Amino acid sequence: MTLKRRDTNRETKMKRLLTTAIGAVGLLAMSSAAQADAAAGQAAFEANGCLDCHYTEGPAREKTIEDQLAKTGPELWYAGDKFVQDWLTAWLTVPAPIRPMKFNSLTEENPGDHPALSADDAASVSDYLMSLTSGVVESGTVKVKKNAKGRVIFSKKMPCSGCHQYTGRKGEPLGGNSGPSLAEAGKRLNPDWILAYLKQPETFKPVKMMPVFVGLLSDKDMANVASYVAYFGTK
Amino acid sequence: MKKLLTVAFAAGLAAQIVSAPAQAADAETVFKFYCAQCHGLAGKGDGPNVTKDFPVSPRNFTDAAEMSKLSDADLRNVILDGGPAVSKSPMMPPWAKTLSDEEVDGLIGHLRMLCACEG
Repeated sequence: MTLKRRDTNRETKMKRLLTTAIGAVGLLAMSSAAQADAAAGQAAFEANGCLDCHYTEGPAREKTIEDQLAKTGPELWYAGDKFVQDWLTAWLTVPAPIRPMKFNSLTEENPGDHPALSADDAASVSDYLMSLTSGVVESGTVKVKKNAKGRVIFSKKMPCSGCHQYTGRKGEPLGGNSGPSLAEAGKRLNPDWILAYLKQPETFKPVKMMPVFVGLLSDKDMANVASYVAYFGTK
Repeated sequence: MKKLLTVAFAAGLAAQIVSAPAQAADAETVFKFYCAQCHGLAGKGDGPNVTKDFPVSPRNFTDAAEMSKLSDADLRNVILDGGPAVSKSPMMPPWAKTLSDEEVDGLIGHLRMLCACEG
């Protein structure tokens, strides 16, 4: 009886060890596969000429308005913080305009001429872009919901809707044109990044057309706005 | 002596003319970057955000009659603290945390140039 139990114990231990080993090998394989995809994605990113308009190494380089205006596309060095990967992969194959206006222009409409990638390139480039992070975005900070407080701040107390398109209560398109559209923001943006961007804009965009709200909105109100914006397009 | 004085005066004037556009360009850059989104590049209140949904008409800075009703202190106030600080629309953002004192000074000068008026 005692012997039998000892054997069973040994068997259980052995099984656990095996499971752990298999798990570890599996994880290693997964992480190296992800690295391989990211490396392939970086190669595809460069081969497709994406670096002509987007820079991918942080921290932020812009110090003056001229620096910002010299750019022809948004910086991507924190793309992994900012985007929802499924959205990003799909968008890269069918890149519909996000900004109503051409990047950095107040007079020309967005010509909608962003190059499209093949499905394979889009998958690997999205793996690569999602590997680019700032290291300052905390996850799980924003609960996405139809946030009434956020709505009031976004559309009444603060001028957010003056520059960003969004979806009205009946699904109608509203808002201004100079900023990126937020109409489907919940599909595109990581809610935690929206909050981090509001709380520390100098990290992500030290020079931008949008006002700084630090010291004007509390952290709680910023979280309400992030929650409200991240709800667009999700229901 | 008279000739010397004239030359010195002319040189001083030339220096002023040369240095003035550099300052103006800086304020103009600031204006075009932040303000033109709503107020338009020429300050006529017709920036690309002014769609049919826009709830108010952004100030036309070339309207001397309206602009001369506002003192420089009024302009500073509304730039720093936004529309609600002067019982106007929250569509005018508070720029206090974005712009430096020098940039606000420059903007006030630029607005006075656009309206060709004083407060």
